[in-house]
Formats: sequence, C-alpha cells, structure tokens
Amino acid sequence: MSRSGKGRVSGLAVDVALFVVLGALVASVVGLAQRWEAPIRQAVEIDLSPSALPLYTLLSLSRGFAAYLLSLAFTLVYGTIAAHGKRAEKVMLPLLDIGQGIPVLGFLPGLVLGMVALFPRTNVGLELACIIMIFTGQVWNMTFSYIGSLRSIPEELHEVARIHRFSFWKRFRIVEVSSSVIGLVWNSMMSMAGGWFFLTVNEAFTLGDRDFRLPGIGSYMAVAIEKGDSRAMAWAIFAMIVMIVACDQLLWRPLVAWSQRFRNADVEGEAAPESWVLNLVRRSAFLRRLRLRRRRRHGAAAPSPVSPPALAETGADTRSARVRTGILVAFGLAALAGALLGAWKLVGLLARVPSGEWVVLVSALGATFLRTLAALALATAWTLPIGILVGRSAVWSRRLQPVVQIVASFPAPMLFPIVTGVLLALRVPFGAIAAVLMFLGAQWYVLFNVLAGASAIPHDLDEAADVYAMKGTARWRKLFVPAVFPFLVTGLVTAAGGAWNASIVAETLTWRGRTLETFGLGSLITKATRDANFPLLTAGVLTMSLALVLLNRLVWRRLYRLAETKYSLNR
Amino acid sequence: MSARESPALVSPIAAARGVDKVYADEAGRNRVILKHVDFEVRENEVVAVLGPSGCGKSTLLRILIGLIPPSAGTVEQHGKPLEGIHPGAAVVFQNFALFPWLSVSDNVRVGLNDRPLPAGDAEARVKAVLAAVGLSGHERDYPKELSGGMKQRVGIARALVGRPELLCMDEPFSALDVLTAELLRTEVYRLFTERTSGLSSVLLITHLIEEAVFLGDRIVVLGANPGTVRREIVNTVPHPREYRSPAFLQMVELIHDVVTGVHLPDSPSAPAATVPGRRLAGPVSPLPAVRIGEILGLLEILADQGGTMNLFDIDALTDYDFGRTIAVAKAAEMLDFVDTPKNDVVLTESGRRMVKASTAERPALLRTEVLKLGVFCLVIRELAKDPDVPLAGDAVRDLLAEHLPTVDASELFGTLINWGRAGQLFDFESASDALALYSGREEEAGG
Repeated sequence: MSRSGKGRVSGLAVDVALFVVLGALVASVVGLAQRWEAPIRQAVEIDLSPSALPLYTLLSLSRGFAAYLLSLAFTLVYGTIAAHGKRAEKVMLPLLDIGQGIPVLGFLPGLVLGMVALFPRTNVGLELACIIMIFTGQVWNMTFSYIGSLRSIPEELHEVARIHRFSFWKRFRIVEVSSSVIGLVWNSMMSMAGGWFFLTVNEAFTLGDRDFRLPGIGSYMAVAIEKGDSRAMAWAIFAMIVMIVACDQLLWRPLVAWSQRFRNADVEGEAAPESWVLNLVRRSAFLRRLRLRRRRRHGAAAPSPVSPPALAETGADTRSARVRTGILVAFGLAALAGALLGAWKLVGLLARVPSGEWVVLVSALGATFLRTLAALALATAWTLPIGILVGRSAVWSRRLQPVVQIVASFPAPMLFPIVTGVLLALRVPFGAIAAVLMFLGAQWYVLFNVLAGASAIPHDLDEAADVYAMKGTARWRKLFVPAVFPFLVTGLVTAAGGAWNASIVAETLTWRGRTLETFGLGSLITKATRDANFPLLTAGVLTMSLALVLLNRLVWRRLYRLAETKYSLNR
Repeated sequence: MSARESPALVSPIAAARGVDKVYADEAGRNRVILKHVDFEVRENEVVAVLGPSGCGKSTLLRILIGLIPPSAGTVEQHGKPLEGIHPGAAVVFQNFALFPWLSVSDNVRVGLNDRPLPAGDAEARVKAVLAAVGLSGHERDYPKELSGGMKQRVGIARALVGRPELLCMDEPFSALDVLTAELLRTEVYRLFTERTSGLSSVLLITHLIEEAVFLGDRIVVLGANPGTVRREIVNTVPHPREYRSPAFLQMVELIHDVVTGVHLPDSPSAPAATVPGRRLAGPVSPLPAVRIGEILGLLEILADQGGTMNLFDIDALTDYDFGRTIAVAKAAEMLDFVDTPKNDVVLTESGRRMVKASTAERPALLRTEVLKLGVFCLVIRELAKDPDVPLAGDAVRDLLAEHLPTVDASELFGTLINWGRAGQLFDFESASDALALYSGREEEAGG
C-alpha cells in the first residue's frame, strides 16, 4: 500500500519534469525559428563570454537534430527504394559507398554560395548549408545499417507479410522498420557524434574575402582559436562535453534500452542495456494511463473499410508496378541529365587547372597518403594491445564502453589547438603534428572494432591456449591478433576514410593569429577554399575521391577478403 | 474418416500441373529443383508430402500457394489459374516466422489479414484460437519469452485464426526437440480429426515417415534430383492412430519399401572391375552428399553385426533421418563396399577388406573403387589434359553442372573433393580454389 503511494508521488514528479522538458523544447524551437528569420549578417560577432555559451550550444544542438531528422528521412526513403528494387540496388549501393568516401568538406563553398543565393535576405540559406554539411557527416552509416538490416530480414517474414496481405505501410512498419530499429538507433548515436566532427568549420569559414559565420558552439571555438583565447577554448570544450553527455544520457541511452524489445534472437547472458531515464519515464503515471487507454481503444477497433477483392488487388499491383517503373525511369533520366550537365561543368572547371598544378596535386596526395598511414599506424599501435586487453575482460569492457563512447563522440578538431600547442612546444614539426591530428579522430574506429573483436574470441580457443601452455607473445601472435584481424580491418577502413577527410582541417591551422600549414592534399583544398579558387578546389576534391575509391578497391577489398577467408572465426 | 469420398467433379483447392522449377545459383548455373510435378490438394484431406531434404518439397508448397512462380507448368486454385497468393491459404513455418516485436495476440491477429470484422469479434477469435492451441493467458507475452514449442503454437494459432481452407505446414515440428515435437504432433492430430477450426484441407511437408503416416490421409513420396512425384499412397490406417498398432507399423513398412525402392533400386550391381590398369567407368551419375567418414562408419557397424543388417535397424542405431541413412547406404553401394538386396545391407568382399585395412592402406583401396565411378573419370580426364596446371574449382563445378544439370554442383563438388582426397587422387587448396592431381610422393609410413 505504502509502496504504491510512493510510486504515485514519484510518478507525479516525473510527470512534472516531463512537462517542463516539453515546455523548454517548445520554447527553444520557437526561439530558434525567430533566429532563422534574422536578416543575414555574414560575420556575426561571436561573444566569447561563457554566459553566451548555453545559447550557442543549444543552437548547434538544434542544427545537429535538424540534420539528424534529414538523415533519418533520407535513410528510410533511400533504403526502402534500394531494398525493394533489385535493379535500383545495383546503382544505389555503390553510390552510397562513393558518397561515404568523398571529402564532403570540399563541397561546403559551393553549397554555401548556392544556398545564400537562394535566400539572399535571411539567414536561412546559411543555416541550411550548415545543416546539410552536418547531414553529410551523419547519413552514411545510418543508411548502410538500414539497408543491411533490410537485407537480413528472414525470407519467411516477407512470406508471412505476403500470405496475410500486408499493405505497404503495414509491411514498412511491422516488417521493415521494426527489423532495423536496433541497428538504426545504434548508428544514430554514432551519426550524431560523427556530425559534430566538422562543426568548427561548418559554422565559421572564410571563402575568398567573405566571412561566413553562424552563432554556435563551433564558431565560438573557431573564434577562440583564432584569438588564442585559451580560457574560451576550455569553456567551449566543457560545453561540448556537457552537450554530448546530456544527449547520451537523456536521449541515446533511453533509446538504446528501449530498442532492445526489437531484438530478434533470445541472446541472454549479455546484460541488457539499461537507462535510468527510460526507467523513470516508464514510471510516469501519465504515460501509463495513456498507454492503457490506447490499448483499450485498440481492443475495440471499429471495423476497417472493406478491403477490395483479391482480383482487383492484383490489378492494382501490376498498375502500381507500372507506375513505379515509370517513376524510376523518370528519376533515372533526370539523374542522367543532371550527371551529364555536371560532367560538362566539371570538365570546364578542370580545364582551367594549369598542368603544373596537377603535378603539385599528385605529390600533395602522396604527402597526405603518408600522413594517413602514419595516423593508422599510431592508432593500431595503441588500440590493438589495449583493445585486446580490455575486450578480453567482460567486466572492464562493460565498464569502459560508455566512457569510450562519450570520449569518441567528442569532435577531435576542437582539441587540435591544444594538441598542436603542446607538440609545438616539444619542437615537433607541423608536418608530423598534422598526422597526429588526423590520428586523433581516426583512432576510435579502430578501438571500437578491436574491442568488439576481442570480446568475440571464443572461450574454448582461450582454454586451448591455456592447455598447450601458449604464453606471452606466442598467444598474442597465434591467437589474439589473428582473431581480431577481421575487426581490425573493418576499423582501419573506416578510420582511413575519416583520416583523409580530417586532413582538410588538420593540415592547416590558425593558431594565435598565425597560420600553420604543411604540404598536403588537405591543406591544398583548404587553401583553394580560402582563395575561392574553384577549379583547384574541384580538382583537389576529385583527386581525393578517386584516391579513396582506388584504395578501397585495390587495398581494403583484398584485406577484407583475406580477413573473411583466412581469419574468420565463423567457418 | 480417411475414406471420405472426394467427388471427382469438385475441382481441387490447389493444384500444380506439369510444374518445373529451375534456379540459377550464384555462379549462374541452372539447377532443376522440380521436374514435371503433377500434384493436387483436394477438399477435406490431409496430404503429406514426404521426401529427403533438398528434394524441393518446400519449393512445391511455395509454388502451390503462389509465393514463388513456377518456371514451367500451371498452378490452379479451384480450377482457375492462380493469381497472386492463394486466397484461402495459411502457412505454419518450420522456424515459426513470428514477429519478435509483436505480442502473442498481435502475432495471431496478423492472420486475420486486416479483414473487416464486427467490433470485438477479432478479439474473440484471437482468444478462442489461443485457447484451442493451449496458450490462454499468454496473450501479452512476446515470442522471445516462449519456448520453441509454444512459439510453434503461436504459429499454428496465427494460421488457424483466419479459418483457412488450405493449411500448409512446412516441416512444422522439425525445429523442436523430440518430446515437444511428439506432444505438438498429437495435438495437431486432434485438431485435424476434430475439424473444429473451420479447416478444410491440410498440406503437410515432412521428411519423417512416421509423421506422414500419423497425420496424412494421402502420402505423396517425392524423389530428389530433380524433385518428382514417385508414388502416391492412400493411408488406410484407421483412426485413432497409434504408433504401435499393427496397421500403423504395416503402413510404415510399406512406405519404407517405397522410399527405399525410390532411392536404392535393386538393379544388378555392375561387375567389379578387377583387371589392373584398366578403368571401367560407368555412366556419369551424381554422388550422394555423404562423407567418406560416414561410409567407413557404416562399414564398421556392419562388420560388428556380422556383415548383414536391415536398413531400418541401421537407421535406428544412428540419429540420422531415414533419407540420410539411405544416402549413406547408397554411397557405400556405389563404391562396391556393400550390396543392398531388398531392405538389407550386406558387406561385400572389398567392403570386408576395407574394414580390415590399416589407416595407411585405406586410400589405395578406396582409390580403386572411386576410379570406377564415371564422375571421377570425367574430372580426372579433364585434369590429365595438362597435369601440371591445377583446375579452378569453378571450372570443375561448371563441368559437373553441364553433365548433371539436376544436381547442386557445389554440393557434388564438395563430395567429390572429400572422396577424392581420401583416396589420394586429388590435391585441393580451398584458399585458391585450385584442384590438381595428387602429387604427394608415396610416403605412407606403414604401406
């Protein structure tokens, strides 16, 4: 009796808290909308006092969420089309692969100019450009995850949907989205983290003589770095950490815990993810009542409209199939026309790059390639032993995983000035520092995968190593390293892509008023942006994309195959 | 009740007429799964389709209700060509195929096809059918909280709630443990015989002879490679059926004979080729997908039992299903290690020699027998064209597919490699998928 009374009180408190949060959300959305309507100012004065930070953080957060909603919508539409059309899939999957590899930062100038031209009087264009840039940092792994989930739906579930005549929406809801929820939530969390990576650039950058700036935590940091204000930098880092932890605890943890109900197999033993926020919300008296009401209404459902007879249905089927083909063909034609036009423009632009520049571009590519290798080597050097050690221990990996996740979500470019300052004091040349900066962001991909690999090593192999007295280095050489190799390759592929992209912000740095620069493809692209040299910018982005695709095909694919055939534990 | 006269004038609920099914595998090789199958499900009967795994039984089910189209031939429902999914069909799947994120009652509700029903009627029907399969009180549970047997009860409830005229069951008990399967089978038998659920006809896919005899009114035996209807038997065992009743045992025996006849025909075995150096190769015929280790195991069992054993006794000794036991016996017969007069398996002279031989001597003995098989000669001829250059496994698979279009070439290749390596005929490197003639110098320590 007393327990239920207490439950009611705390339930009420939770309700109040929920309403307060809701109210705050509504208020901030309204406030943000007003800001969007503000007349365009190319260079907003960024207030470096800490009291300005909460608002800036909220503004950046809202951009991140707007971009996330865009990513989600894109994922659901793109993934559904790709999964439903066998022919569409053949084009759409490689397209996604290329999109993932392309250095998106290279498109920022064009995007901003275009958007500002579209909305000349308000800030909307600039905001949209920023959101789209964040979107390009988020969307890929979500879409890959969704398509992957759709493809792994057991054929029988599709058959059930057909036998029991699911409508398109019913199938979308009950079969497709439900099968993908776990992967989607997980990747959403990763995506939000990835989206912050280029925030300092996305919110504040210069193009020729024009200075574009949006109020936000990224631009705050950018200005602080420019002015060498280390106190402001520390505040920005603090605000960023608060934002990431808050998102993690208030949004992602609850979502991950909630998504467990969509788990397919009954994999027990592994502790189910829990969230204190979700537990609280589940205790909410108001929500419980709402749920009950819904269930009751569901029970006494009114008769649904008469479904058309089977024959008419099949007629509609072929008709809709025809319509679908028509739409696909139209889309294809439009895409083809766009591609042709783009190719024509591209050739025109590239023709304006002097031949001497191409030589520079290729040698810059080489320099950045070496830096990528160095960054990957650094990442492997510490993540492989540490990842295996931690991954072998169930207790430690459970304890450390959430911490590592939050640390990894922190956008590395925000740490660049501090790391650079320290290394410069140690008289490390900036060319090497750039490689370290690239490593900062890339290391986490490797770590996550090695951790996963190490915890997947079968126990009996470990026991066999014990029985045959396999000790020290032998155990590492013969068991641990080969066993995590496939995971290591996956991590390295992702990390390499990240490192290439990071080179654009890592090879040039404004530090206390002076510009540090080292020769490489990334700094070349940044310089071309600053000088508004569009032919060179295009050539640079194109060179990097081509290099990435080639590396993927020639190196990573082969390593994957080796990993799958020789080092897979599943065969 | 098995003796219901089905009026010939009423057209069958579902029928396949001259149906072929051809699949292309990953490498683009065509494989014939079903060949000219005529089959029908009539009103008020339980048809059991019996066949070994891989004979296309499940494919036949899916074609019959419109889930997949046939490559040739026609599919009918009530005498009219079938368009889309069969309107009166429901399916119980081998692996349940429940939605893990829907509660038990929501999973069952799926079976109502969003049909317009008076308010409360849907709820009542779901409740009633859950009670019928013994799941009252589990409405709010989720599938992952249920045992395998209970999951399949949900699967059955989902199929029954829409009152289908054709209930299809695709190996419904084979994912369950033996005891649970037996319990559920008995309950399903009761459902069939009582016919309280608006059920008209049942199509049961199974590889177990006893299951077919227990549940079926009519038993259709399929043969494999390619799947064809070999025999149709009207099950005369009276209800209620008991596993130990003489009539039941007699029917099981009869079907055993039919199945054995289909898979182990009593043809006069080819005379053993003893002339040294001369290879007497038969026609290129497929190998049963059986490993050499299994064949040797069979020989050991036979030797222990005095050289002769009844096929069913062997089957009872192993945990194989009957089809697999037959496949092993057939493989041993192809290698001339056993004879199979009627339902007996008898060790031959070379079989005895094989059992007595040491591990080091066995490859040579096996090689002699293997070389008499056409399919090995085919591959060796191809390899001998240029003995120094290994053949790509894909080229060999293509070669096999060309000669034996009804067989799964990859599976046959796997068997070929297994036998050929055991007989020290081939070297095979799986990483490079390269097949070469055996190159190891005669370093058998003992021989």
